[in-house]
Amino acid sequence: MSTLLDILTTAAILYSVCAGLLLVFGVMKIINFAHGGFLTVGGYSALLVTHLGLHPWWAPAFAFVIGAVCGMAIERLVVRPLYSRPLDAILATWGLGIIIGQVITLAFGREVQFVKSPVTGALDLPGGASYSEYRLLLVAVAVALGLTLAAVLEGTRLGLVTRAVIMNENLARALGINSGLVRFATFSLGAGLASLAGSLITPLSSVDPNMGVPWLVNAFMLVMVSGVSLVSLAIACVVLGGAQVLVSQWGNPILGGLTIVVLAAFVLRLRPQGFSRG
Amino acid sequence: MQSKKTGPLVRAAQWATLATFATALTLPAAHAEDVIRIGIPVGLSGANSVVAPSVVQSAELAAEEINAKGGILGKKVVLEVADDGSGAAGAQKAFDSLIFQKKVNVLISMETSAARNAGLPIVTRGKTPFIYTSFYEGRSCNKYLYVNAWVPDQQVAPIVDYFAKNYKAKTYFLVGSDYAFGRGMLEFTRGYITKIGGKVVGEEYLPMDGSDWTSVISKLKAANPDALITSTAGGAPNVTLTKQLRAAGVKIPYGNLAVDEGTAKSMGADAEGIYISGSYFTNIASPKNQAFMAAMQKKFGANLKTPNDLSVPQYEGVYAYKMAVEKAGSTDADKVIAALAEVAFEGPRGVIQMNKQRHAPLTMYLGKVTKEGGVEVLETFKDVDPGEQCPKLK
Amino acid sequence: MADPVASVLPSPVASAPRKRSDLKRLGIFAAIALVVIAIGPYVLPMYMVNGLIRAFLYAAVALTVDVLWGYTGILTFGQSAFFGIGAYAAGLMFTHVGFSTGYAAIALVAGVGVAMLVAGLVGWLAFYHGASPLYGSVVTLVLPIVVTQILFSGGNFTGSSSGLSGFESFDVSIEAWFWIAGGFLVALTSAAWLFVRSDAGRILVAIRENEQRCEYVGINVSRVKIVLMVVCAAIAAIAGYAFAGVQMVVAPEYAGFVFGTELLIWVALGGRGTLIGPVIGTLVLDVSTSYLSGNLPFVWKLVIGVAFVVVIVALPQGLTPLVTRTARRLFGRREADAPDAPVTFEHSAAAPYAGLEGAGQQALAVEGVRKHFGSLAVLQGIDFTANRGELLSLVGPNGAGKTTLMRCVADGNERSGGTVRINDHDIGRKPPYTCVGFGVGRKFQTANVFETLTVAEALRIARTRMARPSLWSRDGTLPLPEASLQVIRATGLDLQIGTEARHLSHGMKQALELAMVLALEPSVLLLDEPTAGLTKPERTMIGGILVNLAQKHRLCILLVEHDLDFVREISSRVIVLHQGRLVLDGTVAEVVESELVRTIYSGAAHGAPS
Repeated sequence: MSTLLDILTTAAILYSVCAGLLLVFGVMKIINFAHGGFLTVGGYSALLVTHLGLHPWWAPAFAFVIGAVCGMAIERLVVRPLYSRPLDAILATWGLGIIIGQVITLAFGREVQFVKSPVTGALDLPGGASYSEYRLLLVAVAVALGLTLAAVLEGTRLGLVTRAVIMNENLARALGINSGLVRFATFSLGAGLASLAGSLITPLSSVDPNMGVPWLVNAFMLVMVSGVSLVSLAIACVVLGGAQVLVSQWGNPILGGLTIVVLAAFVLRLRPQGFSRG
Repeated sequence: MQSKKTGPLVRAAQWATLATFATALTLPAAHAEDVIRIGIPVGLSGANSVVAPSVVQSAELAAEEINAKGGILGKKVVLEVADDGSGAAGAQKAFDSLIFQKKVNVLISMETSAARNAGLPIVTRGKTPFIYTSFYEGRSCNKYLYVNAWVPDQQVAPIVDYFAKNYKAKTYFLVGSDYAFGRGMLEFTRGYITKIGGKVVGEEYLPMDGSDWTSVISKLKAANPDALITSTAGGAPNVTLTKQLRAAGVKIPYGNLAVDEGTAKSMGADAEGIYISGSYFTNIASPKNQAFMAAMQKKFGANLKTPNDLSVPQYEGVYAYKMAVEKAGSTDADKVIAALAEVAFEGPRGVIQMNKQRHAPLTMYLGKVTKEGGVEVLETFKDVDPGEQCPKLK
Repeated sequence: MADPVASVLPSPVASAPRKRSDLKRLGIFAAIALVVIAIGPYVLPMYMVNGLIRAFLYAAVALTVDVLWGYTGILTFGQSAFFGIGAYAAGLMFTHVGFSTGYAAIALVAGVGVAMLVAGLVGWLAFYHGASPLYGSVVTLVLPIVVTQILFSGGNFTGSSSGLSGFESFDVSIEAWFWIAGGFLVALTSAAWLFVRSDAGRILVAIRENEQRCEYVGINVSRVKIVLMVVCAAIAAIAGYAFAGVQMVVAPEYAGFVFGTELLIWVALGGRGTLIGPVIGTLVLDVSTSYLSGNLPFVWKLVIGVAFVVVIVALPQGLTPLVTRTARRLFGRREADAPDAPVTFEHSAAAPYAGLEGAGQQALAVEGVRKHFGSLAVLQGIDFTANRGELLSLVGPNGAGKTTLMRCVADGNERSGGTVRINDHDIGRKPPYTCVGFGVGRKFQTANVFETLTVAEALRIARTRMARPSLWSRDGTLPLPEASLQVIRATGLDLQIGTEARHLSHGMKQALELAMVLALEPSVLLLDEPTAGLTKPERTMIGGILVNLAQKHRLCILLVEHDLDFVREISSRVIVLHQGRLVLDGTVAEVVESELVRTIYSGAAHGAPS
């Protein structure tokens, strides 16, 4: 029972952390190395909410807005000039990650900070066991996030043109879609979602200038094996996240920490399309 | 490339780069004034950067006090602080620069084990005494090295003994970060628990930057031990583990070998009830400690970084060096090395003499984090022996 | 062997062979560097000597990063891992076994061997036909993370996070280490300099510029990358080994991801693809960091981060080219942008057009070839054969599947079903470079060339399969088959052999690509609209060459064309495709008179599927 919950909640957390990265990867075909930086921005946004004395429920919304604004600025200044140089784009975003970390260090100091959590304690399960309430809550949040994103992509005009750009950017441009605008919107949205995820993980994680880094590589690999689909991302999170939990459980957590990256690398080598169909 | 357009800016950048390099090449070498230079390689950036300012502050207080009373052998004490980046590569640069450029007479500092190890070959080459003031996993031995902080042999026993006595704990679960200190501490802990007749029912590690303790906590719950002892890396891993333990509803006695007073305080309610053991807490009721705290408060006022188990040994280390030089009558490395084992300084942590294979017997305290985030001292253990650390070095 | 053409092409570059002056320049630079290194320990203060020894070894690794990333386009975060492997080989051996000359030698061999094995494995994971470069980069990012984790878990054996220290090592003075490390760096830089300028080295740039074209001239790109990775890993491991030897310490951070990215920063700021830039970048940044970071630990890192982003965005060539250009401007020297090495073209040995002798009359057989993307069927069972000497045109409206069919013939991975045989070889699932070996030469629809390579270099790349290029020198002559020479001469490419492809006109690029494909000496030539964008006289000329190739050299030519007049003039046979099916296969006359074809083309005008 608790293993099952571990898998489910781990997958949910991974999904929340990866969603923004997946969008950017899908539309722009670059891996955003500043993703960890955006997670950190989210964590510190939640910290600001705590400092302002607002209710912790404000943190995700606040984090989303701050992340999206940062994303807009960065897309204009750094990412846009690098459309035609995807490898340089990942290097530049990685450099941005350093900058974000250092700016936060200078502003808030290097020490671990503490953020109020909206929900604390454990929920008693039938059978006498108990499980962290917040982790269970995150499952609901991840599902809601997935459904919202799906609704946006499937049901809105922005979603439609975004999907068109994902499938074939040249064709989309030929059809009169302003793909530059789509990229701008996607990057901002991706940054906002990363920041949102950063605020969501604060009750579990610490808030410090490097808080995003440990998530980074797992997120890259999950997105790469997912192709560009939210559904295959969900599958990848459950399968690889599940593998991580099982390896940690039956082997040890150190091997568990390497499970996702190593498995994903081999999956991609043997089946380049990863978990996506086609 | 639009280099043509960016001409002036770019040219300025080039000159800046060249100038930097030229400056680096021509920086003045050591000035042969009549002072005693104390090198402090410390992690101003990287993992140790949270605690480093407090270490520098206590060294500054010691230097100020010594200079106010006429220095060492009539020479003024000058501190040279260098950033070791909390790692090996940074430490090599810091040690090189302190020993060969600044020509310091001694190194006194707390560092990560990787930084210390990286510095030791340079210390040997430069024949400079080195007083290491950080608690660590033990058994680092070098002709020029002295240690005045605790090792596992001194720190583990108080907690385990207390759990065995007061909670009748028989089964223990150990959790650590996967690094030298984490593994070294728990290895010793396991041995000690077995020695006193207890049983270790689980031992789990997470990578040093890991923050997801889910499976460790699941295993902990499944093992249902009487007590938990953890030794994680300081800062983030310690905090995430404690948060996640509390969220998962773990309520067994919890001994934390890696938390310091400051971190415990800022963790708030989650830290309440954690048992910690150390050689220094701010509310040790000795006159020396009260005088020290007052002096620190006076010197740094609002900027004071709370003194702790890493910064206080730094303060004492400076004094130990002063006494050793005075005893040796010179700053000659070999004479100072010989004298360091023979001098005893009474500081905030009590009387400390590094006479046990380059390590020091220490008075250890067992404390419990209170609701307000302070530490209540439960028991005191006098002069705990560091055990066999460097048998080859006497 | 090669018999020089009577009319050796007039070389536009009449200068003396640059090879010698190149070598002379290299010799002077190396000699100056060695003199500086020789006197270094006597004039520099001790701490600088120590710092520079480390920086020399870091720079050696940065150099490998430059070869991989700057020249070949493989963005790698993983070179630190190989440095670490070399260092730990020494550290583990000297700590646990002891130090002796024999053990030291074993450790070196073991370290280099393990590094090469790991590099081979990483190369196998990261580089395969069709792998995305992003994926390759992420794999190199995973490597140091895994290696570091292994070192951390090694307990007392690897020293975990503390690393190993205090082991016995070579009894060599610091001054001697300075000379060893400096000499190693100079030798390595010189060797790399020769290599990247050699004919073989140009292949690296070709891969960076256009991996697909490389595969279609018969170069096994993945293998080149893997071999390069293995060699670079060995060099990094040697540097790491020396590092452990001189510093007597190893720690996981030397194998880590942060060091790996630091190498990239040094290379990027110094100037990727310049060799000397990364070396200078490393020396300057590593040495100056120790002075600046002590005073401003966080601000310094921020400055480096900002500088890095600015350079990547605005100055992708880094700072060194700017410095040299400024120096040139200051000293009033003109940049010698003369074309590289003058090349004389020759006739290659009497055309052994691949596969022709042994093969039967039939050059190409396509049986039941199908291709679908998801549920969309683009080709639905195509059957036809073509003999040598035939000039077969593929026509049909947009979306009929013509280009797809070409792709299916040239790359075994493309089709969804059916078989393709080239000169009696079943292409199976073979990648393009193997198909080239069977005799296929494919010209793409839009000119597909190497933008920063000169005409002569590009043609040499196309000859890689025939003549193994030298690893350290440049050949002054380039044997080419007559057909290729004909195109070169007729289009005037011979007057621009030193021009980089990106400066060529559209038509000239098309001609260059055709000449490159013909340089492969194919027996089955696939041409996708070879005359698009050409002027009328150019088309006529190309048409003539094609007819000549088919008739005189007995090539089997498969041509996709929209211009039906052109098709009529030169084809010996025409195949009509419509909606993924072969609807007609006959002579020019039959097709031209076919009612069906007329219907298809007029029907296509209103809403044919695309």
